[in-house]
Amino acid sequence: MGFVELTVLNNRPSERRALGIDLGTTNTLAAVWHEGRPIVLRPEGKSGVMPSAVNIREDGDPLVGRIARDQAVVDPTNTVFSVKRFMGRGLADVEADAQYSPYALSETERGVVQVEIHGKKYTPQELSGLILQKVHQMACSVLGTDIHEVVITVPAYFDDAQRQATRDAARFAGLDVLRIINEPTAASLAYGLDQKSDGRIAVYDFGGGTFDVSLLSIEEGVFQVLATAGDTHLGGDDIDRALIELMRMKLSDELSHEDMAEPGFLQAARLAAEKAKIALSSDPEHEIRLVIPASGAHWHHTITRADYDALIDPLIERTLQACRQALSDAGLEPDDVDEVVLVGGSTRIPLVRSRVEEFFGRKPHTELNPDEVVALGAAAQAHVLVGGTRELLLMDVTPLSLGLETMGGAVAKLVERNSTIPCSVTEGFTTYADNQTGIDFRILQGEREMADDNRTLARFKLSGIPPMPAGMASVGVRFHLDADGVLTVTAKEESTGAKSTIEVQPMNGLTDGEVEIMLEESITNAQSDFDRRRIVDLHAEIGSMIRAAEKNIESARSELDPESLEDLGSALAAARAAGQSDTLAKIQETRDKLEQATLPLATLLMDSVVRNAVAGKRLDEL
Amino acid sequence: MSESASCGSCVDCGAQLETPLVCTSCGHLFTNEPAPGPFQTLGIPVTYAIDAKALKKRLLQFSRHVHPDFFGTADAQLQTAAERNSAQLNDAYEILSDDFRRADWIIKELKGPSEADERQMPQAFLMEVLEWNEVLEQARAEGPDSAAWAALDSLDSELRQEREATIAKVAEALDPVPTEGAETLAQIRRRLNAIRYLDRSLAQIRTMRVGASAR
Repeated sequence: MGFVELTVLNNRPSERRALGIDLGTTNTLAAVWHEGRPIVLRPEGKSGVMPSAVNIREDGDPLVGRIARDQAVVDPTNTVFSVKRFMGRGLADVEADAQYSPYALSETERGVVQVEIHGKKYTPQELSGLILQKVHQMACSVLGTDIHEVVITVPAYFDDAQRQATRDAARFAGLDVLRIINEPTAASLAYGLDQKSDGRIAVYDFGGGTFDVSLLSIEEGVFQVLATAGDTHLGGDDIDRALIELMRMKLSDELSHEDMAEPGFLQAARLAAEKAKIALSSDPEHEIRLVIPASGAHWHHTITRADYDALIDPLIERTLQACRQALSDAGLEPDDVDEVVLVGGSTRIPLVRSRVEEFFGRKPHTELNPDEVVALGAAAQAHVLVGGTRELLLMDVTPLSLGLETMGGAVAKLVERNSTIPCSVTEGFTTYADNQTGIDFRILQGEREMADDNRTLARFKLSGIPPMPAGMASVGVRFHLDADGVLTVTAKEESTGAKSTIEVQPMNGLTDGEVEIMLEESITNAQSDFDRRRIVDLHAEIGSMIRAAEKNIESARSELDPESLEDLGSALAAARAAGQSDTLAKIQETRDKLEQATLPLATLLMDSVVRNAVAGKRLDEL
Repeated sequence: MSESASCGSCVDCGAQLETPLVCTSCGHLFTNEPAPGPFQTLGIPVTYAIDAKALKKRLLQFSRHVHPDFFGTADAQLQTAAERNSAQLNDAYEILSDDFRRADWIIKELKGPSEADERQMPQAFLMEVLEWNEVLEQARAEGPDSAAWAALDSLDSELRQEREATIAKVAEALDPVPTEGAETLAQIRRRLNAIRYLDRSLAQIRTMRVGASAR
């Protein structure tokens, strides 16, 4: 269906278009604005939903998507799932995930988690880049045209480092990010387009790895976010883990702790958990079946819906906790919400639906496909950003407060959470010691009172303050959050005009330099990968040329002139000697020389083929 | 006060301007450095009393003209202007839609004392503060399911009533905007300090409750 509809659209090449991409923990998909509404891009007969899985083969070639996911059991240590949970995080942040990861994790100097596969380290940014590249390729082939500009969605509760990591992933994929937007906000756009009614809505977004809740008001096409709250480490993966823990507990008599920490076991258990989770959304009970990879033994255990509900209820309670927080921040009661929209695969769970209904006192909307609604909203926002419409406007907020460390290690908040962006705030600071000529600033993100409990986004120094008594200097610090939620901090000493500006480079993030080096490496690698493939192909080609020449040379020997024969003999000798370690240029030369030398033979053979074909036939029979 | 709702007419199309940020008729963006005051930005007269619905309508109306989303295809200079004007608009709305910050801004504009200049709260208020603090502390110490925790309910409603009464007094003193009297302004500042305290305490109660509702 995708092909046919979209070829019509391609007849209008002047129209600037951009893709909306939902880069999910579990699945990734792309959508585009088409004839007044957003549509998901899917190859004919497919869903368009691509698993966010990457498998790295021994030669370093990546497999992405369904084909990678299918490698999980046979090649667990080289198959990465849920890499989104590592984005913008340090090793300490992902400790809980690490014990379920069948691959080795390490950290760069700047605290970026790395996954080790076949002895090579990959950052989550690079792996997410591979996922984006693949979904982009798929989208472009459906569209039949290349679109480089994209809007990518992230959980509303992603902090600066996680957002920056997402941007870097897009750079690895060679994409131009018009805007990073929040998933629940994107969902609300898709919902609002559908319903076209004003009011307050709550978007409950329970995905594979993250939970978000956003409260919005929709008024004449303006979508204003009132408050948002969530947990970047709470999703379907945690439900899988609860089930894996259950399996481990039930199996603890039969298997050792080591057996159950083994990569093959973990991936098999993870897949069984996923299957159970999906089955229990519709069936009253489910038999978990597991083949223990080490022994090949079969194991099964029946779990009822009631057992399951009891197992996951604490996780759902955490989501409701975030809902309470968002309502409190917006100054609203559950009754004030007109509609509740469910987003994310985990909202298919019956207990999630009933608890949410109970909490807000109204039946949530489920008519939109929870897997697609975010990508659809992203496509709508992309349409706005390329100048496609002025009917829609999204006014989003910053999910976390921003501030500076004060003397004594407390936090001075400059931008409160849930402030509408873009925004600017300036606050005055001064010196605390006589003749102090510099002030160190530590930029913080988070809600905690003490600086050390929050995430440090960056540190910078304002120097060049003229010597004067303590408290006399007047330093204005300006925080500007742009429409992307990217923070720029400027500090200025008023009397001298000494100025220092920093665009925040988050900790646990890649520096521009690092991204460039990695990009260069991947481009160089891409070249060498390409070369390697070409060499293999040339060897194969030379091989068949040698075989063809050998087969025919005897019968043609008498008819070939001695010079051609000599040429052919030496070219064949050179071709047989060609080794795997030859450079591309060398092997190409060998092949070309062989082709040249076999030309007389080929001509002769062609002639004889023609002669044989026409032998005994009259001219008019031909 | 020099603030006024009218900001002249558009240099481009001559239409009467509703805000110094943009001409809502032809879409011309203007540069304002430093940022105009919040009342001028939203194109309303300086009064403490405000129609919240009308204010939000203006925010949305002007956002439709200045939001950076609508300048995605424009040149870099226009994009920067949209970014800056949108921030100025949002900042102005944040101030005006908050009763405390609105009063605070008017007092500063009238050259009244800042929070740092006048740190006192009204005398009558101080005794109550001690009592309220004690209730809060006790609830925090004894935790959920204690009698002290149950007392948070009545404390919460008492603080809300007190806030309402205090902000009403502030409103009364600020409408119409006083033209003179340093003492009047100092008195309003003391009341605002009381509101600051009440807001902080109410926020603490909220945090304690949200925290406790996690099973």
